[in-house]
Amino acid sequence: MPQTASIGAKPAVLVIEDERALAEEIRYELQAEGYPVALAETRAEGLRVARAGGAAVLVVDRMLNHEDGLSILEALREEGNPTPILVISALSTVDDRIRGLKAGGDDYLVKPFELRELTARVEALSRRIPDSRATRLRAGPLEMDLVERSVRRGDRRVELLPREFKLLEYFMRRPNQIVTRAMLLEDVWNYKFLPQTNVVDVHIGNLRRKIDAGGEPRLIVNVRAAGFKLHVDD
Amino acid sequence: MWTIDVLRSRAFRLALAFALAIAAAATVVFTLIYLQFSAASERMVGARLTDEAARALDAGDEELRAQITQRLASDLRRLDYAGLFDAKGALLLGDPPSLPPIRTDGRPHLVASVPARGAGRPDQAIFVAVRRADGSILVLGRSLSEINDLRRTVARSLALALAPTTILILIIGAVFARRAQRRLGDIHAAIAEIMKGDLKQRLPVMSEVDDLDRVARDVNLMLDEIWRLLDQVRHIGDDIAHDLRTPLAVARAKIERGLERGATIGELRAAMAEALNHLDRSAATISAFLRISAMESGRRERSFGPVDFSAVCAGLFEFYEPLAQSKGVAIALAAPRPTLVRGDEDLLREAISNLVDNAIKFTPEGGRVLIAAANADGLATVEVSDSGCGVRPQDREDIFRRFYRGGRDSAAPGYGLGLSIVAAVAKLHGFCLTVEDNAPGARFVLRGDGLVFDSDEAPRGAGAAAPKRSKASA
Repeated sequence: MPQTASIGAKPAVLVIEDERALAEEIRYELQAEGYPVALAETRAEGLRVARAGGAAVLVVDRMLNHEDGLSILEALREEGNPTPILVISALSTVDDRIRGLKAGGDDYLVKPFELRELTARVEALSRRIPDSRATRLRAGPLEMDLVERSVRRGDRRVELLPREFKLLEYFMRRPNQIVTRAMLLEDVWNYKFLPQTNVVDVHIGNLRRKIDAGGEPRLIVNVRAAGFKLHVDD
Repeated sequence: MWTIDVLRSRAFRLALAFALAIAAAATVVFTLIYLQFSAASERMVGARLTDEAARALDAGDEELRAQITQRLASDLRRLDYAGLFDAKGALLLGDPPSLPPIRTDGRPHLVASVPARGAGRPDQAIFVAVRRADGSILVLGRSLSEINDLRRTVARSLALALAPTTILILIIGAVFARRAQRRLGDIHAAIAEIMKGDLKQRLPVMSEVDDLDRVARDVNLMLDEIWRLLDQVRHIGDDIAHDLRTPLAVARAKIERGLERGATIGELRAAMAEALNHLDRSAATISAFLRISAMESGRRERSFGPVDFSAVCAGLFEFYEPLAQSKGVAIALAAPRPTLVRGDEDLLREAISNLVDNAIKFTPEGGRVLIAAANADGLATVEVSDSGCGVRPQDREDIFRRFYRGGRDSAAPGYGLGLSIVAAVAKLHGFCLTVEDNAPGARFVLRGDGLVFDSDEAPRGAGAAAPKRSKASA
């Protein structure tokens, strides 16, 4: 049954997945991150729980026992339900992805995926805020002026290349949130594949060297087996 | 089997319809001939009688009597009539015995039933009656029994001819139906075998080229293609099984050893981490397989559009520059002008990215990597060259084969997957992918038909301002 009351600060997640073992793993991982999780195995059950409200994020398997998971998205969106939805699927072509997003999905993850990737995406969806029109971003000691294209850490001005500026902007819009390599590739570079080398890490390394000068505490930290996080005190 | 099936077959029904049509047409023709012929004969007889009667009017009484007697005497077949009646209609001389019921107007009239002279049965005849100056009536006539005999003969020959013609057509139809039936039976049997799973079975093809044969040949070609695709799928299955078995076996061994001998949490963790690594490799292999298969089945072509190789290379240069720098490899870009091709931008970027990725990976510190895009003679070219260890000549064909490992440094990770994806992307676009000696190092070249925008200084072909594209085979 859906747990509508939230435990701690994290919002509830409804996972609609017919493969029991995978569903349990997802539940385990999300609960370990502090999310209350409800499971549904069929399209009908999933729709019922989703309509009842309470879930802040939906994770929907595209293929549910020969039922089309995308029809859940379409039904909810038709009813005007705006809950963010992460589609998980074994179908990986660009067409499949586009169809998934067109049906009302907010993000698309291809099986097999790392569970940390999934939790990072769920986190991103649960925190999704509309693009602010602010011209200045602030995160901890970092300050970014989007008009002047300038960055300061405290009093110190940080000189960044355009690609580094773009990367930092992405982090500053998601403070204290896990950002995976795949998310960076998709959103910052618009690449839909994972390079086989650690090229993303090199970019992060370069950015780090510029923003953490001379013994300052590290702002962008590695999150083991997941990705990175801009760690700042709120 | 022979009777019922043949009677039901299309060929036989066609023959039957044909036979009916021919019979109907023949009947119409014969009927027309028959009617024309009868009418003409009757007209001829009538005209002759009219002439003779008119001439007889001029003859004197004695002369006329002599003519009548002579006419009747010379008519051995007893077809002619000639009689002289008085004004009241009583027979004076000759035949018929009584005045026929016709007007005495000197014109031919058909009398349906006249007792034949002698013992003959009553018959049709044509009579002409004229009144002479003395009031007596001269009647001349001729029996139609001869013509009617002829008519009957015509009708009989019609019937006689029609029956064998129809039967002949039906027999020919049945023979053809039987032949078609036999071929259809063979085809049916072959299809049944195919449906049972014997995809090597082919439909029988005769030497003559008829419509059935053409269809059979087409179906056979289709079966060849299906067989080829199935074979490909089977190969993919074998390849996947082969490529997955190794990392899975290793992962299993690591976990097993960890469980058996892992005395500490640390040892267990290490074993698990290694196992995870190999499982990730299996997952990556599966994904790559699926992507390559999807590409090879060509389902993405609809997402094709104009792509600028130079812009793609510039983006990749910027993306990989920090990695090259961190490895102490000098990376350079030479893409001064737009180099347009038609294709899928995401896939082309991924392909070139794999080449750049490899180049950096296989180039030792202090080496060079060059990304170049150019357009020459309508060919758009991307070159990724490095000063690394190069590719042995004997490996230059093989390295593009799916999941081939070796050639350069087989210990380097992800080598086989990357190049096979590049090869699949090139094939999907109809581009040519080659590897050459860069002395030292390797130079990978991706070459495809350039998109040409006709501009003022370079009018090419008949194409207007629209991008022109011609597809080359891989």
